[in-house]
Amino acid sequence: MSITHHPHAETLAELASGHLDSGRSIVIAAHLERCRACARQVRLLEAVGGQLIEDAVPEPMSEGALARMLGLIDAAGPIAAAVTPDLASQVTGETAPLPAALSAHGMGGWQWVGPGIHRRMVEVSDDKGARVFLLKARPGTRMPDHTHTGSELTLVLSGAFSHSGGRFGPGDLEEADDSVEHQPLVEPGGPCICLVAMEGSLRLKGLAGRLLQPFLRL
Amino acid sequence: MIAIEQWAGSAEWSARPRPRSGVGSFVRASAMPDPQPDVTAADLAGLLDAVGRQDRAAFIRLFEHFAPRIKAMLMRSGAAAAQAEDVAQDTMLTIWRKAHLYDPSAGSAAAWVFTIARNRRIDVARAMQRTLAEGDDQQRDQADDQPLPDAVLASVELQSRVREALKGLNPDQQRVIVMSFFEDRPHAEIAEALGIPLGTVKSRIRLAVQRLRDLLGELQ
Repeated sequence: MSITHHPHAETLAELASGHLDSGRSIVIAAHLERCRACARQVRLLEAVGGQLIEDAVPEPMSEGALARMLGLIDAAGPIAAAVTPDLASQVTGETAPLPAALSAHGMGGWQWVGPGIHRRMVEVSDDKGARVFLLKARPGTRMPDHTHTGSELTLVLSGAFSHSGGRFGPGDLEEADDSVEHQPLVEPGGPCICLVAMEGSLRLKGLAGRLLQPFLRL
Repeated sequence: MIAIEQWAGSAEWSARPRPRSGVGSFVRASAMPDPQPDVTAADLAGLLDAVGRQDRAAFIRLFEHFAPRIKAMLMRSGAAAAQAEDVAQDTMLTIWRKAHLYDPSAGSAAAWVFTIARNRRIDVARAMQRTLAEGDDQQRDQADDQPLPDAVLASVELQSRVREALKGLNPDQQRVIVMSFFEDRPHAEIAEALGIPLGTVKSRIRLAVQRLRDLLGELQ
């Protein structure tokens, strides 16, 4: 199944230049694990960064900087082969493996947040307060009609949902902001598990939404 | 042409930690020749490979090439000289520790070094914020610490194509690309500095990235 929804080019540029907050960086990194086209684009932007370093007029290091550096690497001793814990194979409790981008992050347990909807928070250290979580919705769930007070990135890990903006299957990434209004419907089949980074909060619409708002702490 | 004014050899810039926000004279005139590289991209890839085998002499050469450039890049984004040097040292130490992870088929040595320096800069910025915020002991983000597992681009070839492609951007596009890489601030602040709407910054970056992709054509 091919990926049809990708991050905006400027979001990839923010990631490549190191200016994307850590919450959204995790979600984009998880998309890159699944999307060769975007991974190549980030690679290209990193090559731009490399070229800009190459073009830089060197700023001389201070006296003795190299000697101090050599002292540090000698003190460090031989380098052991990198050990990367294989958390990527850990499962979400359903069928979708977790993205490697989550492997360095602690996670809470699944919490009920609304009818048919569970959430699992991802621990992120960041000043800007983008919250990151896994969201799991039962097949056939219609998410409350809502808008956003900030931007939201949603990456589908398994299952699929659709709304007026199209169909989002595994690997698809949606960038939504406060100009987007949508009411996603989870497709029949399996549960839909998404990785979400959200700034601000949701604003639910309609009477049902207003009734739900106190319970849906999204 | 993408090179920044101080990179063309202006000595005065280091006296001012952040350039004027007008950025009119930001980009070197296209008539200026590229500086002669003292080490080729292929040399750098070879050196990095040797450092991966703990070759100390190769590390010294890499240090002499990259540390002053990383320092320059960080000062360009507003860091004080001492802090820029600390991050450059830290980046070089990380390079020593991680060089064995470098995959030449996945990108140029300079691009890899860029990603290490970028991540060190992010770590330092977050550590400072944590210190200010006190008591926040959550772990740092390591998500993009390593090159992506995609081995289609020949590094040396890519490096020269990127150099040419950057020259092919128009001045507005160059400005937003350079600012997004070197001004240590979000798109919203770039918009303010340039006196244009945020949407325009985003669309210029989008167009610039699209143009880079087109110019790099068959690589995509």
